[in-house]
Amino acid sequence: MTREEAGRLLHAYVDGELDAAKSLELEAHLAGNPAARAACERLREMSAAIRSRADYHAAPASLAARLRASVPAVPEEAPRRAALRAWLKPAALFAAIALVAWVVAIMATRPGDDERIAQEALASHVRATLGNRLFDVASSDQHTVKPWLSARLAFSPPVADFSAHGFELRGGRLDYVGGQSVAVLVYQRRQHVIDVFVWPAREPRVERTVARDGFNMEHFARGGMSFWLVSDLNRNELGDFARLLAPTP
Amino acid sequence: MNEALSERKQRFEERVLPHLDAAFNLARWLTRNDHDAQDVVQEAVLRAYRFFDGLRGEARPWLLAIVRNSCLSWLQVNRPVELAGFDDRTVEPIEENSPETLALRQCDRRMLNEALAALSAQFREALILRELEDLSYKDIARITDVPLGTVMSRLARGRRLLAESLQAISNASQVHR
Repeated sequence: MTREEAGRLLHAYVDGELDAAKSLELEAHLAGNPAARAACERLREMSAAIRSRADYHAAPASLAARLRASVPAVPEEAPRRAALRAWLKPAALFAAIALVAWVVAIMATRPGDDERIAQEALASHVRATLGNRLFDVASSDQHTVKPWLSARLAFSPPVADFSAHGFELRGGRLDYVGGQSVAVLVYQRRQHVIDVFVWPAREPRVERTVARDGFNMEHFARGGMSFWLVSDLNRNELGDFARLLAPTP
Repeated sequence: MNEALSERKQRFEERVLPHLDAAFNLARWLTRNDHDAQDVVQEAVLRAYRFFDGLRGEARPWLLAIVRNSCLSWLQVNRPVELAGFDDRTVEPIEENSPETLALRQCDRRMLNEALAALSAQFREALILRELEDLSYKDIARITDVPLGTVMSRLARGRRLLAESLQAISNASQVHR
């Protein structure tokens, strides 16, 4: 065995990844070569040092509890193997998201769609409050709500808690608005429920305030996301909340 | 909740959740931050649940592959600088001369952790999977989506870089004495 080959195989040998025949050959080489033997010893020490002294970060107990709680209690579509492969290739995933965003952008910019979306968002809000089915995931923790939604949508909606400002995060749900799945973040101010509909859209900066059937709605687009707020909260406070969600620079 | 669904959830919890520590450890070493690691792991586990029917064979490397991809996507969005040069898949020659032992013997826990955390991500993940998770080259190749030869060269290069950086830390502390 040449020195080069021995050097090449040394890591695999120390890691126990060399087959029996090659191991024997390498051991013969080591026996007649003190420098190579020393190198082998140093590698073993390095490995032992990492194993004994590097931090092993065990998952916090709270994480396990949170996961058990958030592994879905709602039916999912049966995933296929092909879906797994697509996910394992981030490039393919990225392309898929870009395509969805593109289609959504085209749909969202068609004239007259705003009106339809406003109708559908309002209908969803009313259905949820009447049926008392406000959320699929009930939590005031943004780190629970966000991953729950992200895992079920082709995008990751921004989720933040504004309890310090009197707008408390209560949970989130999925809905279907404007021909697509959207995230709905549910906030509460006193007795008023505020639904925030979010989905990706490449819209120009718009800001609209609509009042309909006693409900107020705020619409704006920020950071590649389209937001619709629906609530029976008064117009001023809903406007304040919209500014919290989309601070004007 | 219907029965098939709760059974699926139960099977998932039995097979996948025991590997939560491994998932968190990898995410913590790749993001280098507790809080971010929790977010990434939570997202990854929920994804794993969606693709659970695609699981064949061992659950741990399967879950770690999903966690690792979630980490990479997260880094791409939040800290793209750290991934510079990550996709270099060339197999580099393994140097025969390995490092001095002195620095290794003197280094304490803190120094070793710092030196490991300072390695670039592809060497760090290879060493964590090999030394802390005790995974085979084959599993590491599968998780990190590279050929076996690349796993081998990354481990070799990672160990050499780690030794050099420990040597540098040790030299620096000698000067201060």
